Amino acid sequence: MYRLKGEKRLAAGLLTLCMLAGLWFPGERVHAEYIHTNRDTLPPGPAMEIKEESAEEYEKLYETDKAVYYYREDRDIIALLDKESGYLWKTGLDAPVAKKLRAKAMSASTEEEFEELENTPVEDNMNEIFTDMANSLITVEYRPPESLDSPKKISSASSGSESTLRKLEENRFCLDIDFKDIDLQMKVYITFGEKKIQYYIPHEEITGQGMQSMTTLYLTPFLGANGGQLLRFNRDSGDYDIVERKDAPPGYAFVPDGSGALIRFQDNNSIFRQYTGDVYGSDASQWEYYNTTLTDAMPLKDPVMPVFGVALGNDQAAFVAYADEGAEYMSIICTPEENTTYYTWTCPQFTYNLRYHQVFNKAGDGYFQMMEEPNVFDIAMTYEFLSGDGSGSTEAADYVGMALTYRRHLIEEGILTEMTGSGEETSGDIPIRLDFLMSDAESGVVGLDNVVMTTTEDVRSILTDVMDNGIQNINSGLQGWQKKGVTFSRPGTRKYSSAIGSRSDFENLMTDFSRMGVDISYQQDYVTINKTMMSYFDNAVKHVNSWYSYVDKTNLLPPAAPVTQFGYARPEKSVKWLKEQYEHSKGTADSMTIDGIGSILTGDYADSGHITVSDAMALYQEQLETMEEVKRNIKNPGMYLWKYTDRYLQAPVGHSQYIFETDAVPFLQLVLNGTMEVYAPYANFSFYTQTDILKMIDYNLSPSFILTSEPSWKLADTVSADLYSTEYSLYKNLIQEVYSQVNAALGQVKGYRWVDRLVVQDGVIVNVYEKDGTVKKVIINYTDDPVTVDGAQTPPKSALVADAVRTP
Amino acid sequence: MRKIKRILAVMLGLLCLTEPILTQASQATSYTYTHDDKMNSVRTQDAYLPQQTITNLGLNAAEDMFIDKNNMMYIADTGSLRIVKYDISRGALLEEFSHPEFQAPKGIYVTADGTIYVADSKAKAVFVFDQDWKLLRKLERPQVPAFGDTPFDPAKVAADGRGNVYIVGEGVYSGVIQMSEEGEFQGFFAVNKTDLTTFQKLQTVFFTREQLSRLLNRNPVTFANVTLDDRGIVYTVTLGKRRDPIKKHKTNGSNMFADTVYGFEDINDIWVDENLLIYTASKRGYVDVYTAEGELLFEFGSYVSNLDVAGLYNALSTLAVDQNGYIWTIDGIKGYLQSYAPTAYAQKVYEALGFYNSGHYEEALRTWDEVLAMNQMSVAAHDGIGKAYLSKYDFESAMEHFQVAGNHGLYSEAFWEIRNVWLQKYLVYFLAAAVLLYLAIVITERVDKERRLRRLKAAWKERIMNTKGLGDVLYGFTTARHPLNGYYEIRVGRKGSLPGAGILYLLTFAAFMLFMLGKGFIYQYYDIQELDIGSIVIGFFAFTSLFVICNYLAASINDGEGTLKGVALAVAYGAVPLMVSLFAITALSYCVTANEAFFLDVLLWGGGAWTVVLIFLGLQTIHNYSGKEMVKSLLITALFIFVVIVVILVVTIMCEQVMKFLTTIGKELVRNVSS
Repeated sequence: MYRLKGEKRLAAGLLTLCMLAGLWFPGERVHAEYIHTNRDTLPPGPAMEIKEESAEEYEKLYETDKAVYYYREDRDIIALLDKESGYLWKTGLDAPVAKKLRAKAMSASTEEEFEELENTPVEDNMNEIFTDMANSLITVEYRPPESLDSPKKISSASSGSESTLRKLEENRFCLDIDFKDIDLQMKVYITFGEKKIQYYIPHEEITGQGMQSMTTLYLTPFLGANGGQLLRFNRDSGDYDIVERKDAPPGYAFVPDGSGALIRFQDNNSIFRQYTGDVYGSDASQWEYYNTTLTDAMPLKDPVMPVFGVALGNDQAAFVAYADEGAEYMSIICTPEENTTYYTWTCPQFTYNLRYHQVFNKAGDGYFQMMEEPNVFDIAMTYEFLSGDGSGSTEAADYVGMALTYRRHLIEEGILTEMTGSGEETSGDIPIRLDFLMSDAESGVVGLDNVVMTTTEDVRSILTDVMDNGIQNINSGLQGWQKKGVTFSRPGTRKYSSAIGSRSDFENLMTDFSRMGVDISYQQDYVTINKTMMSYFDNAVKHVNSWYSYVDKTNLLPPAAPVTQFGYARPEKSVKWLKEQYEHSKGTADSMTIDGIGSILTGDYADSGHITVSDAMALYQEQLETMEEVKRNIKNPGMYLWKYTDRYLQAPVGHSQYIFETDAVPFLQLVLNGTMEVYAPYANFSFYTQTDILKMIDYNLSPSFILTSEPSWKLADTVSADLYSTEYSLYKNLIQEVYSQVNAALGQVKGYRWVDRLVVQDGVIVNVYEKDGTVKKVIINYTDDPVTVDGAQTPPKSALVADAVRTP
Repeated sequence: MRKIKRILAVMLGLLCLTEPILTQASQATSYTYTHDDKMNSVRTQDAYLPQQTITNLGLNAAEDMFIDKNNMMYIADTGSLRIVKYDISRGALLEEFSHPEFQAPKGIYVTADGTIYVADSKAKAVFVFDQDWKLLRKLERPQVPAFGDTPFDPAKVAADGRGNVYIVGEGVYSGVIQMSEEGEFQGFFAVNKTDLTTFQKLQTVFFTREQLSRLLNRNPVTFANVTLDDRGIVYTVTLGKRRDPIKKHKTNGSNMFADTVYGFEDINDIWVDENLLIYTASKRGYVDVYTAEGELLFEFGSYVSNLDVAGLYNALSTLAVDQNGYIWTIDGIKGYLQSYAPTAYAQKVYEALGFYNSGHYEEALRTWDEVLAMNQMSVAAHDGIGKAYLSKYDFESAMEHFQVAGNHGLYSEAFWEIRNVWLQKYLVYFLAAAVLLYLAIVITERVDKERRLRRLKAAWKERIMNTKGLGDVLYGFTTARHPLNGYYEIRVGRKGSLPGAGILYLLTFAAFMLFMLGKGFIYQYYDIQELDIGSIVIGFFAFTSLFVICNYLAASINDGEGTLKGVALAVAYGAVPLMVSLFAITALSYCVTANEAFFLDVLLWGGGAWTVVLIFLGLQTIHNYSGKEMVKSLLITALFIFVVIVVILVVTIMCEQVMKFLTTIGKELVRNVSS
């Protein structure tokens, strides 16, 4: 405020008043116009004109009420004509290879030949390899042993491959592909639904020597590719030199970066590198190097669900694609326009093998090599095609429709279950998450000194105080409840420290508050370990090069931090510890708060045998399945654990902010809505402004805080030094303020289904909720001006629930 | 040091961004750093969030930008030979201007009256335009003898609108070129001194002028950029320097910053806003914000080569700050504009600084408290609160906060004030007590004619000195005062004992540790966490033992008469003055201010020198050496110590190599057998 002058002093005074009232006022300054960033969602783009396209080169395979399926043999392209929207989707670009046409041009002499050339433009910036890839159903990247450093690509429609489509049943086909050049054969089973295509590539039917050098597989890389530039034949110069921009429909690609990101199609001026979202994060046992150092650039957000999509026009045509098998080996890539080609293309990529650094001495010397045993997994991908605004046979053809489609699929699969009934879960106040950091440790003269931040008595008095102030629906996780605190206590032990609270103190605290409906649980990270905590022998994950994988966080920790390198617990150990804590928790605590498992997924090359990421997933699922006596609060879990998640903690808000990501959307929250409680990141750290409170309402997130009784500067020499501010006395008012605002809006739509999210103008969002025919609209106004939507005026920087409206 | 480590880590870890780390709640894309109480780089709450990324201006190697008071941005788009004018408030490209004579427009500056200066190094001129792009004049190479053969390739420019134009020329070592508006050369402003290494200094002494002229890199580093604040004060940044890369110049060109400013070696742009906050851009992608006094507030941004994420750079070329406090930057390689909005946290910090600078100490205090609520570890906030209390003469509260902020200087000032008051209050009692004591002694001596008291004292002293253990320890004071006799008694075995010496060793070590860790805040620069206690303990005792053993060995081949015990005792008893001075310094450090460090220095050096002399005399006596023989023995001892250390090192390294070899073979075996 100290930049403001003159008449703005009054405003500054008012702002200061607000701050004194305990509310940290918006980070943004007063603007006449709302200036959006890529952390917002923009208003929908223009509509597209759907032109009728001929499919004369195609053979019809199958037809339903909603769609017709075609196939083009020479280019390996499946086309789907959406009868509802009239849009013809093609799995490939359907372009001729420029090299072949150029050869033709050299020898052309007759008028007909010239005319044919003039009528057949070629793709600009696409060589034969790329054209084949753009057309084909499957492209494989491989690293031949003689040139490990330079990966090569071969596609099912390349001249070095052969592919034949066989009909198995009326709507079921099999594409037999033989990548002859690298001796690799595979079968792709294709099933057509009402308006969906399913692909299944079983591992056991991939054969040939090429299996060893195949690194990744791309499935229909150019389905939904957008943009493009053509070169037309110029009779005068005898070359393809007339540049013509392709008429590309407006739209966007959706990628599950963080909570969800849209990449609107545009003609970029700069060359951007591609977005790669490694689903469930990269496997520490298969990193390129066995260790990694974190830098001052923040880590990117990993997708927690194997889903992506493309939408064209405004609620006109879209598809959503998701993996049911092979997700743990899947990356979602989106290559923006101007990167090699003039297309923005989005597709899944599956990793079978990779290059890693084999180290042979402590100094880290080594050489690169491929894994001896490629990853073993089947691929099952489904593409559902959407059209219209949601009033037709499918959900709307936008990201909301994609989310609702994916949600429905997960519910059908039993992964998500809608909360029903009239209990606390579907009505009343929204919950709030209040976590406590009990203790951490710093270096002492000899060994470690415990830094106790909160005792069981403190928790008792703080929670009582919060409840006295009118907040009742509370759940809490206690971090660092053991001796040596959050960084050094072993995940499987129960070593109480009298300085924090004895076993009976904890048990009394939990049972006493449980009676009042407050759920307090032990929180433990079951995956992140360090050498001070325990020996790595038999406990830590080994990289494929047989060294222990670890992360070095020196750059992020204070100079006096007692430990800077962190390894990963072997999945078997994590599960063992989880089981031990479960035995300990059940009976006293209503829930367990699980960190590590869920957000970190890693395999293990243990001496006793290789545990793959698929094995690790199964181990976690098996254990969590048995833990029915407690609620399971899991920190940012991947989709594979959603079935066992009651509370989703620290849900991502926004994306990694790639420059070409144009919008952030609450895709994850739309999928999860009504199936579990979903909590925002801690409001303590850069998530406390009015805009952030509105974002919680917009994204349907319950607020969460991390608290201590002692001031947080005491943590300055611990690994928790990034908890800059946690002391309860500072947060008392903010907790009230945040909760009352969020509850005032979301409390009214609890138990409702979130059915739509509209951007009515820049900075103004309308979330539509529905329950038994009753529709409620939550209007979120991020701008500095009042806005009127459907006759309801929403003041600046606030949210409003438009009263129940009966649907006709 | 940490900064260097971080940069190294950034370079090593470029590919590591995608590793599975817990999801970040933050909406920033890089961490924000600041200095802690010991000037280490530590993370802090996010200060700025990436705001807009504007990619459609088609910028090509843009090297400079300027934002005027109307929020108009001027970009020197060097590669496209044009100036781009962009309206920030409306988010619209307004104008593109090119002059036929432009060859490499690298610098741009707009004065308050709207005059536009464009520095073009290839055209060897500074072009001066009015708001309508009418060329007013061209500043070209000065033709005066004072300019000599200095090249005139203007890369950056700044003008104060009061007749002074400051030009950074490429390859100019003499300083910033200062000209009048009309192009008259007025001299070189602010020369960078050459920082010579010790080796280079020696070269300067011994080399002939001819030899010196053949040496490379003896030129002072050149300035990278220049800017002015609203009051016409000149700021410069210099490439290739980690110490003082940023300077705020007095009118005579000297540097105004009292303390050394540490920054990146590749800072290429600087901006000063109306509140005198200083912003710098380093090519590697870091934006730093400093206070008007040159204290680092925030540092954020990072370098990436394989990603396109807002707020991370391939090459950060320039920066400017708009009227809303948003920072605007350009990635020179990628050609896009990136803006940052200050967070509520940063705004609070600035607000508090503003209150303090304008003398509103109450408001400053209150605002700093709000900053502390958001970040209880904020050194800036504690420092700010301390300063506000100091200005309000609340010295005790000031000291409390300066201690947390690690501000030893101001803590000392506040302490001086408190001590002053205390002294004024109690000095008279002290003097009275001293006079009374003196009188008591005089009277006692007069009354006690038979010296009974004195005899009683002597008897007690003898009793204590004869007590086993205690007497042996206290004997150290005798040797300190009467080394020759004292050590003789030790040599003949009448005085001193191994347990006594052991206790003295322990006491000396205790004194040393107390000195290292227990001094008053003014003199205490380490925390226990920062010291490797294990190494210190081992180091102290291992080195002492090594000296004792080596000296004994050296003497035994050199006709020394001392036994191993004798040597150990000589060293232990010799250490007494040092031990006493360490204890005394530790105690005194609680009462003296930083200005009185001299007393402590004298004590330390005095105690140390006394100990050295005592050990020398002690060993000489023990071995029954002449002075010359003693010196010889010490030299041999040093040689022995050196040899032993080398042997230990060699053996350790060999063992490690053998271990490494065995592990490698083992691993290889396991791998081959298992595959």
